[in-house]
Amino acid sequence: MARWSPPRNGGGGHDFDFKKKRKVEEIYQALNSDPIDVAALRRMAISEGGLLMDEIRCKVWPKLLSVNTDDLPPLPGKELREDNKDYQQVLLDVRRSLRRFPPGMPDDQREGLQEELIDIILHVLKRNPQLHYYQGYHDIVVTFLLVVGDRLATALVEKLSTHHLRDFMDPTMDNTKHILNYLMPIIDQVNPEVHDFMQSAEVGTIFALSWLITWFGHVLSDFRHVVRLYDFFLACHPLMPIYFAAVIVLHRQQEVLDCECDMASVHHLLSQIPQDLPYESLISKAGDLFVQFPPSKLAREAAQQQAERTAASTFKDFELASVQQRPDTVLRQRFGEQPRGEERTKSILTKPRTNRFVKLAVMGLTVALGAAALAVVKSALEWAPKFELQIFP
Amino acid sequence: MPFSSSGADDAFDYLFKIILIGDSNVGKTCVVHRFKTGQYNEKQQNTIGVDFTVRSMDIDGKKVKIQVWDTAGQERFRTITQSYYRSAHGAILAYDLTRRSTFESIPHWIHEIEKYGAANLVMMLIGNKSDSVDKRQVLFEDACTLAEKHGLLAVLETSAKEAQNIEEVFTLMAKELIARNTLQLHGESPPNSIYLDSRPVIASPSVEKSQCLC
Repeated sequence: MARWSPPRNGGGGHDFDFKKKRKVEEIYQALNSDPIDVAALRRMAISEGGLLMDEIRCKVWPKLLSVNTDDLPPLPGKELREDNKDYQQVLLDVRRSLRRFPPGMPDDQREGLQEELIDIILHVLKRNPQLHYYQGYHDIVVTFLLVVGDRLATALVEKLSTHHLRDFMDPTMDNTKHILNYLMPIIDQVNPEVHDFMQSAEVGTIFALSWLITWFGHVLSDFRHVVRLYDFFLACHPLMPIYFAAVIVLHRQQEVLDCECDMASVHHLLSQIPQDLPYESLISKAGDLFVQFPPSKLAREAAQQQAERTAASTFKDFELASVQQRPDTVLRQRFGEQPRGEERTKSILTKPRTNRFVKLAVMGLTVALGAAALAVVKSALEWAPKFELQIFP
Repeated sequence: MPFSSSGADDAFDYLFKIILIGDSNVGKTCVVHRFKTGQYNEKQQNTIGVDFTVRSMDIDGKKVKIQVWDTAGQERFRTITQSYYRSAHGAILAYDLTRRSTFESIPHWIHEIEKYGAANLVMMLIGNKSDSVDKRQVLFEDACTLAEKHGLLAVLETSAKEAQNIEEVFTLMAKELIARNTLQLHGESPPNSIYLDSRPVIASPSVEKSQCLC
């Protein structure tokens, strides 16, 4: 097995302080242990500062996604571009993704990367015909391309597309809309006043759509913030981005409540994401919320929102889609899902209003997250409502 | 329909909600951006879901607040954007005059509006990217024929890049909506027979050529 040693001169320059230095050492220790200590890497990716620098990300991201870097698939040829139903749309989106490249980058270098970006996307789509391109997918892929380069990015993105992003890549957006339905129940648990205000404004959840399906890559202008969030999301459950979205709304609760209570005003306010968010504290809050109100706990409410909003026919499609994504029983067990029945019903119906953020010890948080995240599920929807709906029609 | 507000700072005589739809990459967001800021964004990204912009205009001494709902063009987002049609007073359908396929989609977009929008919604057609006439693939006459066939208010060729006809699009739409609203307030005859005939007047010679009032 290859042994890696920490870079001598750190990516952060001379002011690389003591704490970071120690974290770098810990990360390399986890990388060099046999077997690799993925749980520790997950913890590092979540905890303050995340994975710190791209050099480390190149090594750790594959481990978080269980991608074998010794056996990367060959790079695709240009024939991909012929006869691909998504090629035109991908081309249009990549051509106008200039903002996603570092400002000072020379044009020819950027254009080369844009070509690589197109190839990666088409390659993954070709190898996985069940996946459908969506506008915003390129925002995710470009992040990987810029951090790890085209060869490794292809492998990572392919894994991610069949796991974390799977629901966004369905033929329709029904599953994506369903995941958005988790947003309001999370907000309700923490601040019912904000929840009720947003409900009466009828703002919906579309303001968070681009956040969710691009992992915030589409809306954040500072690339360092984007990769910091990717560290976090790669180490966590596929639904973590929706918890993070909720935390952003809650962080701005006063602004929301001060806003005019109508759809347009609230949508406008929330869709303009502040660029100076306190990322580290928001990440830790999102983690706390995930532990306090895990998806299984919220599934029923989310399903209710779905049932209220979608037509019966749409819902049939949705059910069908859920059936096709058969839950992996082993992973379910590992996640320690409770037996369904009376007890669960009660705990869901008597919504705990004692809420607010419970401060959990970092260890407790990361262990819980680690367990959840280790159960890298095929689809976030496997935690979803099908069963509940049958039990509680 | 529009309503009046009595707030001091934020007072307006009319509020119109306008939805902007059309295929991907025809320049919808650039049109809105030009309308809102007076600038052209060279680095405009694709839109995901729905974006929202508001601007006030002064039209014949009336303060008109215009909300523009700018939508994603990719087919898969339609189930999301559809829910915004219902409350819209007007719809601007956009195509790229240098890409024929985007014009050929217009009947589908009209169909969407008829299906999900309000019955008396005002529709307008714009052919964007008129700065690239050398690459033109859609004749203005064809657009006029289409607009007439579907009873659209008007067709304008626009350029968000060179600020051609952008103000005019929204002014025209606002004037028509004001006119219809006034008629409605006075409760004159069945709406449709009147509305189809209403012809807002714009007498700016510079825009005459690429403007067709149907």
